Amino acid sequence: MASLITCPHCGTRPKEEFSIRGAALKRPDPAASEKDWHAYVYLRENPKGRYQEYWHHAAGCRRWLIVERDNVTHDVFAVSDAAAVRGASE
Amino acid sequence: MTSYRLGSAGTVNRGQPLTFTFDGKSYKGFDGDTLASALLANDQMLMGRSFKYHRPRGPVTAGSSEPNALMTIGTGARAEPNVRATVAELYNGLTAVSQNRWPSLSTDIGAINGLLSPMLGAGFYYKTFMWPAALWEKLYEPVIRRAAGLGKLAMQADPDRYEKSWAHCDLLVIGSGPAGLMAALAAGRAGARVMLADEGFLLGGSLLSESASVGGVSALDFVKAAIEELASLPNVTLMPRTTVFGWYDDMVFGAVERVQKHVAVPSPDLPMERLWRIVAKRAILASGSEERPLVFGGNDKPGVMTASAMRTYANRYGVAAGGKVAVFTNGGSGYRTASDLIAAGVDVTTIIDARAQSADAVPEGVRMIRGGAVVDTKGRKRIDALIAERSGFQEEIACDALAMSGGWSPIVHLMCQRGAKPVWSDEAQAFLAPDVGSAFVAAGSAAGAQTISASLRDGAAKAAALARELGFAAYEMNIPEVEGEYDPAFAPVWYVPGAKGKAFVDLQNDVAVSDLGLAQREGFGHIEHTKRYTTAGMATDQGKLGNVNTIGIVAGMRGVSPAQIGTTTFRPFYTPVSFGALAGTSRGEHAAPTRTSPLHDWAKKNGATFVEAGLWHRSSWFARAGERTWRESVDREVQTVRSNAGLCDVSTLGKIEIFGTGAAEFLNRVYCNNFLKLPVGKARYGLMLREDGMILDDGTTSRLSENHYVMTTTTAYAGEVMAHLEFAAQTFWPELDVRFVSVTDQWAQMSLAGPKARTIMSRVVEDDISDAAFPYLGARAVTLRGGLKARLFRISFSGELAYELAVPSGYGEAVADAIMEAGRDEGICAYGVEALNVLRIEKGFVTHSEIDGRTTPDDLGFGRMMAMQKPDFIGKRQSSRFGLTAADRLQLVGLRPLEKLEEFSAGAHLLKEDATPAMANDQGWVSSVCQSPTLGHTIGLALMKSGRERYGETIVVWDGLRGGQVLAQVCPPVFVDPENRKLQG
Amino acid sequence: MSLTLYHRHVLEDYLAGFGEKANPNHIAVIRRPAIFSILAHRAHEAAVEDALKPVEGVHLRYCAPDEWLVVSTTLGAAVIENRLGEIAGASIVDQSDGRALLRIHGPNVRKILAKCVAVDLHADAFAIGTSANMLCCHVSVNLARTGADTFEIVVPRSFCGSLFEDVMEMGREFALTAAFADS
Ligand SMILES: [Zn+2]
Repeated sequence: MASLITCPHCGTRPKEEFSIRGAALKRPDPAASEKDWHAYVYLRENPKGRYQEYWHHAAGCRRWLIVERDNVTHDVFAVSDAAAVRGASE
Repeated sequence: MTSYRLGSAGTVNRGQPLTFTFDGKSYKGFDGDTLASALLANDQMLMGRSFKYHRPRGPVTAGSSEPNALMTIGTGARAEPNVRATVAELYNGLTAVSQNRWPSLSTDIGAINGLLSPMLGAGFYYKTFMWPAALWEKLYEPVIRRAAGLGKLAMQADPDRYEKSWAHCDLLVIGSGPAGLMAALAAGRAGARVMLADEGFLLGGSLLSESASVGGVSALDFVKAAIEELASLPNVTLMPRTTVFGWYDDMVFGAVERVQKHVAVPSPDLPMERLWRIVAKRAILASGSEERPLVFGGNDKPGVMTASAMRTYANRYGVAAGGKVAVFTNGGSGYRTASDLIAAGVDVTTIIDARAQSADAVPEGVRMIRGGAVVDTKGRKRIDALIAERSGFQEEIACDALAMSGGWSPIVHLMCQRGAKPVWSDEAQAFLAPDVGSAFVAAGSAAGAQTISASLRDGAAKAAALARELGFAAYEMNIPEVEGEYDPAFAPVWYVPGAKGKAFVDLQNDVAVSDLGLAQREGFGHIEHTKRYTTAGMATDQGKLGNVNTIGIVAGMRGVSPAQIGTTTFRPFYTPVSFGALAGTSRGEHAAPTRTSPLHDWAKKNGATFVEAGLWHRSSWFARAGERTWRESVDREVQTVRSNAGLCDVSTLGKIEIFGTGAAEFLNRVYCNNFLKLPVGKARYGLMLREDGMILDDGTTSRLSENHYVMTTTTAYAGEVMAHLEFAAQTFWPELDVRFVSVTDQWAQMSLAGPKARTIMSRVVEDDISDAAFPYLGARAVTLRGGLKARLFRISFSGELAYELAVPSGYGEAVADAIMEAGRDEGICAYGVEALNVLRIEKGFVTHSEIDGRTTPDDLGFGRMMAMQKPDFIGKRQSSRFGLTAADRLQLVGLRPLEKLEEFSAGAHLLKEDATPAMANDQGWVSSVCQSPTLGHTIGLALMKSGRERYGETIVVWDGLRGGQVLAQVCPPVFVDPENRKLQG
Repeated sequence: MSLTLYHRHVLEDYLAGFGEKANPNHIAVIRRPAIFSILAHRAHEAAVEDALKPVEGVHLRYCAPDEWLVVSTTLGAAVIENRLGEIAGASIVDQSDGRALLRIHGPNVRKILAKCVAVDLHADAFAIGTSANMLCCHVSVNLARTGADTFEIVVPRSFCGSLFEDVMEMGREFALTAAFADS
């Protein structure tokens, strides 16, 4: 029927407004090892439980968000703007 | 026919009689009746036939858990099967028909199944019809479906409208009995936004059937006053006829409102039903409790019903369930029913209490049998006697209705729909609501409260606490005094042993105690297995009435506590929800939104046939008088473009405006080819890769000024590319100064292609567009004659001299008209996406038929575009991986049939001559095919192993799907103007 | 040769069937609104917003932390473009032809919109002056509250017909009408 995600920019919205891209992995450095690139492109942890994913607020602010949630209970622990997170970690 | 309507009691409006029919016979009822209460008032106790054995059945409840009284209501396309007569609101002209009987309800051939019952026990489907499997679909299933089943669907389109709506509140109160009303009042008075939903057509829940007085007035008057107050509060929304059927993630509740189910002639402007998605900060489950039937021999005879149902029929509807009533109980409810019936003037002969002693007051003149049980019943279409047993002695007692009470189970379904299991309480002898956190709590008898006063208190207190949590000032509630309430305490009796006839646990599925025993003996002891093996708890009622008894009985058989058996899984929906309500307005043409191009009307008036492309409707071809097939139109369009000029709507291409000092660097990183040095005023073809090295999309990007670009994407990938750019900018390189905005809708874009394109375009555009002033891949702002600002791009998807002109959308149709006018003497025509496809295949241009997620730039012949010297671009690292550079990768080639008249289709595979069709011999496959009017035969593009080394080879085009094979010659993928003379002319 | 080009609203055919009479619940389709996308560049977000606030005759509609729509139903796009002028750190894109503006108002407007959007439009949650991008009848729009019972929907042109039909359907029970309006 619905799940709700609270976008830090737009407020609480139904999941239909978002598209999910999967694990919120950080892109390796262009010069990173073959192994790191392989892992980034092809390997996923796919855990049961707490998980960080990229969600795109496609029908709202069009920002990419990092949603930390439990994929069993759909408890959402945190939603943050991915640019802020990635920008800060540079 | 005896009338069972009682004096003046109840909420039915006796001043408003209604006429309805049941199985073709006309009856009278009152406004405020349910179909079941009206039938009972008319001495029609027999209301259906059971699922498997076709046993005669009457209503056993007066509410939504009803397993027996299922009917088809309405006629024609509006005929709705499996409606519970116990909740169906009576209206004038209602037409009801009984189900699962032939030729008639009272004479049913299928009842012979009852004689075969030894063969039809638990698991009989699995045992009997296992082999041969081929017979299942052809024979067994149709036969079983005809013999055993529920109502039939009307095989016509639903004529009614349905809607969906969102709602938001601080507190959702589910159920409007004593706890729900007090909860709504407490939170409403505190100022919270309250929604009070109840499945009934009158708010008040169990209070509507209550003989006790509340706050010094009758329960009914108390309800009226409470509803009046709630209705006057602007922050409270009352939702009668609304079943909250599901609890979903993040405190979203699903509910269905029956807006016009009770209306004889529905208004076309109102929905039949409305599906609500209610976002509640807090919710209270005040759904009450369900009275459990007792399980004894012959407990399914019409006339046997729960004590509370009988009380409801008498007190709320003013209908006596019989003229001579007996009661079989294990607690206070049976006594209350007896006294209420007697007060209403009904003859109650006997109370049989399974307990040896109790403090419940026995009404005067009623015979009392303590420590006894009912072991069998007599009568066919209605009970006429029961066999009572005490201390080994049996006696027959005449009665025409039997009230039974096996105790109470809180209705906790909604709280268990997200994984939590109800918790067995030895003290309450029932499963109680689990703790699901503080946002959603049960109150009243749903939370195990025993009495009305306890429910009133509980509802008020819990709502007040939740309102406080949300920051509303506490409102001091006076809890009204209840006078004349009874103690519903009971001692559990799971079933009465020694039944002669069948003792049913699940009435809807005809599951008897003996079936549960069989399931245990045959190893289906786990309650989920027992459910599937016996079908107990399945079908439309999902075991609302029988499940707890099933669990209790299985526990008894296994010598454990019901706590150890546990329950089956609770899932939405609490009660059945129609597909109409779930679909809402999203049906037919409105199943998904559609997008229309600004040139749609231009295309329409030029004779376009449209094709759906994603959400868009694109012009496919433009038939002219005399053209008999689409091919004739397409051939003409292609030839006109190649010889004169054609105008095509390309407005659906994605258009993205890109700004920023980091835009050049950004583009250089998202395209695999170089973009840093794209000059201002120029367009460049670009390929975007995925990180795994495969092509994501292609298109052109034009530099309009130093830090300003406009990108075009394919129609299909416009959304994806935009999201991809945003993803890259926001998560990979947030430090780059680059911003995007979609301008797809701002510009009507049209492609003018053909040798006469420049002549025609220069009649429309003021600027100098000579080859010298505006060469191939030029891109810039221009002014149309008359002053309109536009953008012109010299790009081509046909191989011809071509321009794409973008004008503000509102002018699109006018400009397209002007171009057609300017080109009339040059023989211009409109062309659609079919001709566009032929033109591009002839020229060897790729689309997503080739860019299918498995192809690299090199596969498609773009290997030299890859700027591997760039420090970084998306897809760079995986591009050099072994698998992506292998020599036998599939490469883009052209195909032409050896025999000019032979044809082949896209999707066909390539085989070496004389090779057997097998994956091991597969040489590739055909990605695009067209009939080329320019060459006069079929041509194709294919992806073929080491294809570029194999030009000239003869290959078999093998079509396993359509059958047949054709010999073709492998050639370069460009069939027309390989030197690009036309393009750059 | 000079071209005289007519301008066509996307709802021209849709509205042809409606009478002149506006019911209490009504959609005014603004014929030629001026609508601009404003994109603030990195680190200029606050400055751009400050620069936009004093621009006269326009409404600022929030889309994202660094993106707004500037809307006017009374002044033409050319006038607005002039008034906006150059704003340091901002990119300005004319979307006047790429978006349609529907102004819906009436006593039942919230009940109608509750069938279209998932966002809570109660005055406490979505006050006058609030605006946001959201799904409306499956289409991404910008919705703004401009009065107690008045909302404005800015919708991409290509989706406008589809959205309009859906909103009208949702308004059926409240006799929703629609007509062009010049401002
Ligand atoms: Zn957002």
